[in-house]
Amino acid sequence: MKILIADDSKVMRQIVLRTMRQAGFGHHEFVEAVDGAEAEQLVASESPDLVLSDWNMPNKTGIELLRALRGGGNPVPFGFVTSEGSEEMRETARAAGAMFLIAKPFTADHFESELSGMLG
Amino acid sequence: MTISSAPDEALVLAAIEQVWGSMLFASAAPWPADRPAEFETGLQAQIELRGDWNGRLVLTCDSVVAGQIAGAMLGLGPEEQLDQPDVHDAVGEVLNVVGGSVKGALPGTSALGLPGVREVTAVPARDESFVVSWGDAPVYVQIVPDAA
Repeated sequence: MKILIADDSKVMRQIVLRTMRQAGFGHHEFVEAVDGAEAEQLVASESPDLVLSDWNMPNKTGIELLRALRGGGNPVPFGFVTSEGSEEMRETARAAGAMFLIAKPFTADHFESELSGMLG
Repeated sequence: MTISSAPDEALVLAAIEQVWGSMLFASAAPWPADRPAEFETGLQAQIELRGDWNGRLVLTCDSVVAGQIAGAMLGLGPEEQLDQPDVHDAVGEVLNVVGGSVKGALPGTSALGLPGVREVTAVPARDESFVVSWGDAPVYVQIVPDAA
């Protein structure tokens, strides 16, 4: 499967990738986007099977990205990996169509728990 | 009962301890008030909180400490060096995660900004900050409300 990681922090993209490998998902193909706008372009051109997105990003935030995708009829599975994990944000994410929200700081267990059913 | 919407030292310290432990695999502790905490060049990261309380969190550390924090985040060995943009990125992201924890714990906080990082040549005033340890080095933390 192809997984798109969207985060404006290069270091955090590397950490998400490392954690995905630690969780046993390293054999999948990964694509990276530096903000929500690039992520939207890559969803169109790369057709990922899953999007892991930060919430706070320049140009287009994660929630704006998700709403744009769903507004355009794209049902790609979408999860947030973000520094904020309040119940209000989780509800906002769910209402917009996100599968889950993993709050930073996270561990490989968090990714395994949310993604094992989907990624195997 | 009134619940304060302003972050205090205990809340921010708790967030830092959590991030140090889970992301950097290190412990943070308050720095003794009578112990010198000087350095000449370093990095300063800041991030804004908006809502019932408006202001910013500021983290300032020595350049060497900044590199060590970045290395710890990425699991690098002691001999591995990161480019300066990656060190800035890492220190900003540490504060971003601290800010996210603080925002989640404060009622009425509606927005967290994007972290900004710059180089500095002086440490903040001790009476305007609290200091936590990174190993045997000091890291300054400031809670700065917007000017009235």
